[in-house]
Amino acid sequence: MGNHRALFGIARATCALGLVATLLTGCGSDGGSGDGVTKLTFAASTFGDPGRGPLLTKWLDEFNQSQTKIQVSAAAVPYPTFGQTVLTQMGSGKGPDLVRFDMPEFEAASDAGLVAPLDKVIDASKYDLLKQPDQFMVHDGVRHGVIFEASNYAMFYNADLIPTPPTTYEQFTATAKSLTKGDVFGLAFRQTEAEEAGVWQDIFNYVYGFGGAWSDGKNLTINSPENLKGLQAFKDLYDANVIPRGADAATFRRMFAEGKVGMELNNGGYVTATRGQNAKLNFNVAPIPFPVRKQGTILAPIVINEASEGKDEAGTFIKWALEPQNQVKLQEILGASSVATTTQRSAEKLKETPFLPVFDGLTDTSLPQIVLGFEAKTPDIRKVVVQNVIAALQGKTDLKSALDRAQQQATELVR
Amino acid sequence: MTVVEQTGAPKTTPPGRPRRRPSPLGSKWTPYLFLAPAALFILVFQAVPLVQEVYLSFTRTRLLNPTRSEWVGLDNFNRIFGDPEFHRTLLITIIYVITCVVVAIGAGLVVALLLNRKFRGRGVARALVTVPWAAPGIAVALIATWMLNAQYGIVNRFLDAVGLGVPGGAILDSSRYALPAVLATTIWQLFPFTSVVLLSALQSVPQELNEAATVDGAGRWATFRAVTWQVIKPTVGLLALLMTIWSLRRFELIWLMTKGGPVGATETLVIDLYSQAFDSKELGSAAAIGMVGVVISLIVIIGSRLVARAVEKGDVR
Repeated sequence: MGNHRALFGIARATCALGLVATLLTGCGSDGGSGDGVTKLTFAASTFGDPGRGPLLTKWLDEFNQSQTKIQVSAAAVPYPTFGQTVLTQMGSGKGPDLVRFDMPEFEAASDAGLVAPLDKVIDASKYDLLKQPDQFMVHDGVRHGVIFEASNYAMFYNADLIPTPPTTYEQFTATAKSLTKGDVFGLAFRQTEAEEAGVWQDIFNYVYGFGGAWSDGKNLTINSPENLKGLQAFKDLYDANVIPRGADAATFRRMFAEGKVGMELNNGGYVTATRGQNAKLNFNVAPIPFPVRKQGTILAPIVINEASEGKDEAGTFIKWALEPQNQVKLQEILGASSVATTTQRSAEKLKETPFLPVFDGLTDTSLPQIVLGFEAKTPDIRKVVVQNVIAALQGKTDLKSALDRAQQQATELVR
Repeated sequence: MTVVEQTGAPKTTPPGRPRRRPSPLGSKWTPYLFLAPAALFILVFQAVPLVQEVYLSFTRTRLLNPTRSEWVGLDNFNRIFGDPEFHRTLLITIIYVITCVVVAIGAGLVVALLLNRKFRGRGVARALVTVPWAAPGIAVALIATWMLNAQYGIVNRFLDAVGLGVPGGAILDSSRYALPAVLATTIWQLFPFTSVVLLSALQSVPQELNEAATVDGAGRWATFRAVTWQVIKPTVGLLALLMTIWSLRRFELIWLMTKGGPVGATETLVIDLYSQAFDSKELGSAAAIGMVGVVISLIVIIGSRLVARAVEKGDVR
């Protein structure tokens, strides 16, 4: 009798533990099938963008309405922690089914085998893909992503404050200095460690705009004379107090929208965001006035998580996104950015945003913000470079020593 | 009538009622039964991760490929202890912890002594002083960041007005001012807790002892030292231990305010651990840093117990 009771107790405890385990497993699941419908999650930082996020969600709804067996839901992860959050999830074999990555994180994820090959999912030859950005989607002959958004960097300027945009770096500096007065600043860029990824994007334009590069494809060239020249230009503007020091991107972008910042180097995605903050702002766009016409571009691929249980269904979504009419809709949502395929801008859109051709004209001279030849190591190199550049801005060391140190630290990382 | 004696006599069952089984609560396993949930929780959520951390600290494990782990012995420890930046991190951690403990307890004691006096509105003052402690760390960090914002922060406006403004107003982005700013915010959040605990300790000081000391001609300071301090000393010791452990592992406030920057000026052990694990994606190095934190915590706990024992024996006054 006693044994029976003990066995019964053990059985009850086992059932309870099993129930808890089942509940916990259920909580950890990212999706799955219910009523024959495969539920997928699509993670993108842009879903949290006040200007574009709601429109992108509507675009997803259009896909959902066209399907009976697949439903895609948006997961907005804030930009500053996006890569870290999603990579951590994917590293542990979980995470969203579809991901819109930025290039450094895309490279790290595909190098680690966390991204599903897309060659069997889509037939690239069927689409008129933009060649320049699309080449970075393929690694060793294997396609790992499709461009979701390609957005070139240009100079945004407040047309009420600057009737004629600068065309040289000297004019750029002089304009920034002449505008800076009281609570108005001539220029704004990110310069704090808290915005490491953003600082990297900003200094990228200075390095490439002065003829520099982070590598020659085989060796790192962080401390090259050209890089020093470009970053010295960046530091000179910081030292000249023409930027709102300590202001994060959210703050100085609001200041730009309020007419308190004269110029900003930013990508096409910023057009919609700026209008979202102040529809009446009179701003314009011109190429970045640095000596060399070469600048960064935000390449944001859409990928399928290797750990996803709905890879085929995720592929269906990508194929839907690549359909011409859905590409046009996506491009209109993304503003001045390009999408995966060649699309025509409508006369209506050109009238509404006359400077769209400025962005389009920069595609051939734009480069993704990765270290060529060391793509997967870009996040690590970025950390080292940004930390050392900020140390130089803070006066902890001179810029040349900072770049020498960055070169040495980054070389050890990639060895 | 059946008489049931308290002890000695065997228990009898009243006629007509079924015989009761002996209650499991009376068995020798009862204490273990009650302890089991807590023990299981600690085992699953504390002990297992700790053992995993110890193992990880001897491996090279990447966050993106955690299954491809490689045993490297003491390499992670050699690397972190050979890195001058880690020495700086340790120094900043020590400065952060000591300042938090000393100032939070000191400020808490002053406030507790003030709140222990009788004055009009004492109840309201006691309630208000707990507000920063009641606020979540994330809210405190965000409020502090807004107040210290270079462009529209109230702190900059005030400092500018009194002629002490930081150039550009970027307090949190200055390697000179970021640590004091983070410390001030931490202490602002911590001291209400110490003041409330010390206030309750002060209320247990026998009033007659204070009065006797006053009658004997002792001044305020002498009375405090001879009477009040002797009573609240164990509470202060416990608070010091708690504050040390809490400050060692405080993450969210520093991360949200500075992310350890600028140029490592506010990088404590936990921030370094997080950066290694999630920025550099090196779980092995992160675990090694975590082990350093565990060892420091153990030293503090054992040290505090030894001091407490010595105080009890009268070796230390």
